Amino acid sequence: MKASFTAALLGASLVATAAGAQGTAPPAGRLLASNCFQCHGTNGAGPGFDAIAGKSVDEIYKKLREMQSRSPGNDIMKAHARGYTDAQLRQISTWLSQQRSTSLDD
Amino acid sequence: MNASDQDSMQRMRRRLLQAAGWGSLGALLPALGCGGGATPDDGISFALGRSTSAGAAVTGTGVGGRVVVVGGGMAGVTAAKYLRLWGGTGVSVTLVERTASYTSNIMSNLVLTGQRSIGSLQYTYGNLVSRYGVNRVQGEVTAIDPVNRQVTLASGSTLAYDRLVLAPGVVFTYEPALGGIPGLETAAAQAKVLHAWQAGAQTTALRNQITAMPNGGVFVLTIPAKPYRCPPGPYERACLVADWLKKNRPGSKVIILDANPGITAEVHSFTDAFMNVHAGVTEYHPGVAISSIDTGTMTLETSIGSIKANVINAIPPHRAGKVVTAAGLADQGGRWASVNQLSYESKVAAGIHVIGDSAGTAQPKAGHIGNQLGKVCADAIVRAFGGLPPDPAPVTNSACYSPITMDTASWLTAVFAYDPATLSMAAVPDSFREAASRSGDNFSKMNEWFSALMSETFS
Repeated sequence: MKASFTAALLGASLVATAAGAQGTAPPAGRLLASNCFQCHGTNGAGPGFDAIAGKSVDEIYKKLREMQSRSPGNDIMKAHARGYTDAQLRQISTWLSQQRSTSLDD
Repeated sequence: MNASDQDSMQRMRRRLLQAAGWGSLGALLPALGCGGGATPDDGISFALGRSTSAGAAVTGTGVGGRVVVVGGGMAGVTAAKYLRLWGGTGVSVTLVERTASYTSNIMSNLVLTGQRSIGSLQYTYGNLVSRYGVNRVQGEVTAIDPVNRQVTLASGSTLAYDRLVLAPGVVFTYEPALGGIPGLETAAAQAKVLHAWQAGAQTTALRNQITAMPNGGVFVLTIPAKPYRCPPGPYERACLVADWLKKNRPGSKVIILDANPGITAEVHSFTDAFMNVHAGVTEYHPGVAISSIDTGTMTLETSIGSIKANVINAIPPHRAGKVVTAAGLADQGGRWASVNQLSYESKVAAGIHVIGDSAGTAQPKAGHIGNQLGKVCADAIVRAFGGLPPDPAPVTNSACYSPITMDTASWLTAVFAYDPATLSMAAVPDSFREAASRSGDNFSKMNEWFSALMSETFS
């Protein structure tokens, strides 16, 4: 009984997927960059620690790479930056550079 | 997607379900809400087509669908917000939460020292409605029908969904048969030996018990075996209570009885705290089994002997919220829900996603990462409405600051990445780190972090 119930539920999932209309993929880097939002605000535009939205790709990327290369010590961002690959840091930097630097509150 | 598209989608689903012989499986799953105490909803309209009250931040994206989110904590609120922000006006989102506001567990240990009030930790759902156009229903889910895709509320109303997101947090286990500590089964016992692990009335009550302690008193904190909510939280609490007692109730002790074989988070910081910073006040005992607590004599029977206390703060083992367990989704020993870690869709029931503390993954049960699970889940649902698979390489992160004294703090952080070999989220080793030392600067950054996190979630 339980097995057939589970099978029914899993079957329903395939149906839902098949019924969906084809949409456009979300912007590259958005979901990755959303890891920044907890401390730097929605879309990186504050309120929070240093504003990061709307800066140039180079500025954001260089800063993140620099953090990765330093001993973390007492700086949480230096530890945190080590969690991303170089390709991921580039995607994050690119997406953030394209955001408005003002917060939704403004 | 417009209304007629939605109708045709519904028709197609019904047809396919019937063709496969599933149309008759409409039995309601009994599902209690997330813990009782709901205020019944009062006749709010449940029309779930295209929302007409979209907030200014939300625009059309071309995809559409109906989502019901159950639970208004860090994960559920974030999912609701981002379903609208990323899904657009075609994605109708209804948040069902039984209470009028959310009380943050993060920072609630500072209520115990009198440094924060419970009121300063409360957040309402107004911005979700006005900025993002989320439909807000104050009520409690009593049943889920996973085949016809609708939930029933205590009021008798029903909400239809294409995707259901469950974010009910945890419930505490008091039944000895399920791992609860014997002696705490009754409401009277639970009112005397508090958990204060869900911020609110219990937090204030524990504060009152601490201030009523005499000089030379004994405070006992018991920590359940992991996983439990907020890994560093119990140690942080021990530190703060010790610091307050040191200054206000000289000669008192804080005895920490840990079911785990050692400190589960920030080993360096808390070892230093218990051995040095709070030496003479804290006594840390790992690997302790508690056989019973007598709330009459305020005595614990443990694997290291009998201990008598003025205040016992027993953090019980946890399990997934009732709406998850009652629906049969807690396939991990009846405690946690297995999910596809790309989308947080339940491995038991399609179309139902479980996020936050109820989800059984290697990621910690905590608010900062709960927010991120909400975003990963929202992204996956929006993609699904567009007929797209979830992001194949999601990344999440955990971060928190932990007070070590009433004016210094440490921190902990970890980034988690999807491992296609194990199909699960795993910590990126080099990112899993704690502060080199406690500091006043960390303490003020903790306040900045908390404000930012709550603003990102509730604004």
